[in-house]
Amino acid sequence: MTKNQLFERLSAILQETFDIEPARITPEARLHDDLDIDSIDAIDLLVQLKPVAGKRVPPEVFKSVRTLQDVVDALHGLLDESAAA
Amino acid sequence: MLETLERGWRILATGISFTTFGLGGLGLRLLYFPLLQLLVRDQARQTRLARLAVHHSFRFFIEWMRVLGVLRYRIEGVEKLARPGLLILANHPTLIDVVFLISLVPNADCVVKASLAHNPFTRGPVRATGYLCNDSGPALIQDCIASVKAGNNLIIFPEGTRTRVNSPMQLQRGAANIAVRGPCDITPVTIRCEPLGLSKGTPWWRVPPKRMNFTIQVHDDIPVAPQRGEAGGEARAARQLTAQLHDYFSREGQGHAAA
Repeated sequence: MTKNQLFERLSAILQETFDIEPARITPEARLHDDLDIDSIDAIDLLVQLKPVAGKRVPPEVFKSVRTLQDVVDALHGLLDESAAA
Repeated sequence: MLETLERGWRILATGISFTTFGLGGLGLRLLYFPLLQLLVRDQARQTRLARLAVHHSFRFFIEWMRVLGVLRYRIEGVEKLARPGLLILANHPTLIDVVFLISLVPNADCVVKASLAHNPFTRGPVRATGYLCNDSGPALIQDCIASVKAGNNLIIFPEGTRTRVNSPMQLQRGAANIAVRGPCDITPVTIRCEPLGLSKGTPWWRVPPKRMNFTIQVHDDIPVAPQRGEAGGEARAARQLTAQLHDYFSREGQGHAAA
């Protein structure tokens, strides 16, 4: 899956799960500060991302993410890992 | 002249009240709780007795403040609190809101600031009562739900901290998450203090021009329907419920006193 496709999937999840308007969903948007995703939401988000990543997303991966682009990069990294294995 | 004198007395009386509060906390920690640990082996019973001690101490403390002339109060609907397993949500105008609420609820559980578990005057009671600490992140939601399901009456201030004067009320989503994911119905309590004292950002000695007058109303439960399906539904439901609670407390918490 390309990074663009990953972003589209992420965007759909954010709209569906957290009622976030599409206009606010940009690669630069920060999860906590701009989109009001708190630590409880983050756990829900990890659950929702499991089918996208094709496996459980370890919470450590999300420790350092701030923006949506960071999330996409982290997911892309996970997918690469699976492909290489 | 008489007014200045009365105000001066209330500053002194507030100081006396807080000193009493601190000494009481220290006394419970140094005398009562060690005795409890010595005499009562069963952990659950120990916690229950510790909570009961805090309940009675707070009742005494509120009466003490009333007798000293620091405050007056009126409580409505208190009988609604005489049920086990409640999720009690309240607005948070003053420093002593939790003291009022625990004085009305014998088996109260609450979420306390982690710093109170380290403060020498509050550490004893906070540890002995097993109150939940607010530094444990998302796991706290599960702990809160477990507490309500175990039959405790859990007191939460959805604002997370005292309301800032002159700025709009802001609610955290934790309380709504507990209600939605429990699921637990909500027992709303509104607290009004007129004239406002002991509010956020005001030092305790800056007492209001007149004696604080508290009106505490326990309202009918707000039912919370269980969420079906995915985890995503809960996140959205928690957002909607937070908005609903915001309207509720903005409406019921302010103004129309006698309505």
